[in-house]
Amino acid sequence: MSEYKSIHGAKVQTYSSNPANPILGQVWFNATSDTLRVQSQTTAGAWSTGGDLNTARSYLGGAGATKNAALAFGGGPPPAPSAKTITESYNGTAWTEVNDMNSKKAFVAGAGTYTSAIASGGDQYSGVSESWNGTNWTSIANEPSGKNAYGAAGADNTNALFFGGSPPSSETRYWNGSSWTALNNINTARAGIGGAGKTYTQALAAGGQSGSTRVAIVESFNGTNWTEVNDLNTARSYMGSTGTQTSALVYAGTIPGVTAVTEEWNGSNWTETTNVSTAREGGASAGANNTDALLSGGSPDTAATEEWTGAGASVTRTIDTD
Amino acid sequence: MAHKTYQYCVAENWGKGFIEHGESSKLTFSSYPGNVWQVPAHNKHGNLWIAKVAGSVKTLAEAQTIVDAEVQAAQAVWDSLPDANKAPAVESNKRPTDITLEE
Repeated sequence: MSEYKSIHGAKVQTYSSNPANPILGQVWFNATSDTLRVQSQTTAGAWSTGGDLNTARSYLGGAGATKNAALAFGGGPPPAPSAKTITESYNGTAWTEVNDMNSKKAFVAGAGTYTSAIASGGDQYSGVSESWNGTNWTSIANEPSGKNAYGAAGADNTNALFFGGSPPSSETRYWNGSSWTALNNINTARAGIGGAGKTYTQALAAGGQSGSTRVAIVESFNGTNWTEVNDLNTARSYMGSTGTQTSALVYAGTIPGVTAVTEEWNGSNWTETTNVSTAREGGASAGANNTDALLSGGSPDTAATEEWTGAGASVTRTIDTD
Repeated sequence: MAHKTYQYCVAENWGKGFIEHGESSKLTFSSYPGNVWQVPAHNKHGNLWIAKVAGSVKTLAEAQTIVDAEVQAAQAVWDSLPDANKAPAVESNKRPTDITLEE
């Protein structure tokens, strides 16, 4: 029988905890957990549980460039008297409460990162907006269409796009860090839209609802015009959404009735993939693309957080020796 | 006798590590009110996961009773709200609906 060393050229090392930066294919023995571990690649995307929010809530806003650096703010249950100003920051393991928003907001939309974000809308149709600088929220000019439940995309608190909204709207507004500019409308007016895009000139608007009718419509924005692209497989609204115009993920939402269905966007088509564990609507979203996403909170009111790791990601696995 | 598709347990989600990526790749997890979790029946990975989370295994009827109690409590909260709070300020502001678990 061959020994590991003769094949691999090195002995299996023993660690008291997992090594900080294991390379692909590295095998080690974790003496604390008494398990043999290997660094491998995921072959399929899947959701895993993350740290719970400190405060369970729904229809909250989210921002964040990756699932390991995210912000969740506001939330309900609606209407406004029950809505919250709470803001929490996520580091990939746990949520930490940080400074509150200035006003209560459920059905708030967010764009940007956990250190630079814009929050807009609230459940009183006011378009109330705030800017986050990594430490504090500052009130800014109201979004002029005065809606809530927008779709959102953007890079940071100087580059954010909000579109649609409730009551069903087709308006599109760009925030440049100091003022709002009206841009061309989306083609189909709707609320509860899933937004994706890391800059306002490359955005995606997925699904939503007009009245009680959920739509599967997806539109792509180039900075000037919205163009309809291929539909979602499952029409829905108030879903989680993140990513870019060419690599996005849409998850959960209401069809009506909450759904757990997740779909991946590759720039051309939507493909159904692994469901979230806790079906819900109105959760906060963050993430990088269709391999990196976060879902936290939602209705029915929950604190549950789920992390999406797509196919091809580097993960540590335990080797089953029984 | 009907063949069981799912099994149920009650387990509190402790967050990170409760469901790991590798487990989610092999199983379909669904959660319901009352910390009720549904995983496939007659499945090694499902059984291992229930053991890992120290889940309290429930029959379909027992799980349904727990879910019903949670939903009815949420409905009672909704019903006690002032009418102004029930007004559909947005389309999704609605009374919690009943849930029926699958065998």
